[in-house]
Amino acid sequence: MPNDALQDSLAEKRWLNALAQGDPAALGGLYEMYGERIFRYTYRMLGNRTDAEDATAETFLRVLRRSAELRADGAFRTWLFRIARNLCIDKLRQHKLMELPADAQYSGGEEKTTLRVTVQQALADLPVEYRDPLVLCDLEDLPAREAAEVLQISVPALKSRLYRGRRALRDKLGGMMEKK
Amino acid sequence: MSHDLYMKLVDLYAGGELPKELEDELKAASIGDKELSHEMATLRHTVDLLHSIPEPEFTEESFQRVLMSLYARGVEADPKITAPAHMQLYLPIAG
Repeated sequence: MPNDALQDSLAEKRWLNALAQGDPAALGGLYEMYGERIFRYTYRMLGNRTDAEDATAETFLRVLRRSAELRADGAFRTWLFRIARNLCIDKLRQHKLMELPADAQYSGGEEKTTLRVTVQQALADLPVEYRDPLVLCDLEDLPAREAAEVLQISVPALKSRLYRGRRALRDKLGGMMEKK
Repeated sequence: MSHDLYMKLVDLYAGGELPKELEDELKAASIGDKELSHEMATLRHTVDLLHSIPEPEFTEESFQRVLMSLYARGVEADPKITAPAHMQLYLPIAG
């Protein structure tokens, strides 16, 4: 295990043990470790900062409420993403928040910006069952096994959704593909 | 090779999951096959475009707002990072 990953793993174990012993301050440590990744994921799923911040806070609140279920066996990150994912699905069902993030900011030239906005929009238009694997695997770089556990499906099922999702995204981008 | 098998290989190629040797073989097979060549190019380009989407920025303000939201719900989350000066609240000095 690379040194950074080992340090993270030890820190995670320390915070989880502290949380299991009823130390609420330990949540701050876990938030420092994973807050950014959960925010990024929820932002990509929900499409705007305010909802992503709400979902991130709610995710960590649920960690605290369910701390009795915690296991310091390396599965915490998967469990955390699963909580965040369930919250996103609930929010999407409630509000049908499928539009382009209003506060999306892109740097670079106009053509590049247009391209990114188009890709972001096409991704947001995909059904959640396709968008989820694309966000987890292609954007968040989660290993297939872990992404499958987050979605509670088998690895072959995940791969199948991932590949179909890429094709669906390619088809949505349509003409842009022909230019290449 | 069957069409289905080619498509499976193209999926793996798009995500960069094919071993180099097999990737070279697939590229060679695509030279005389327009459909295969199109599939390979467009799917690989789709994955590249996905990677080009910038990461949402987790700003200091967002970090603190999430923390404040936890505090508001009675959670004493206490990260080591302190709030920047412009986000700290000061009590009036009692005189």
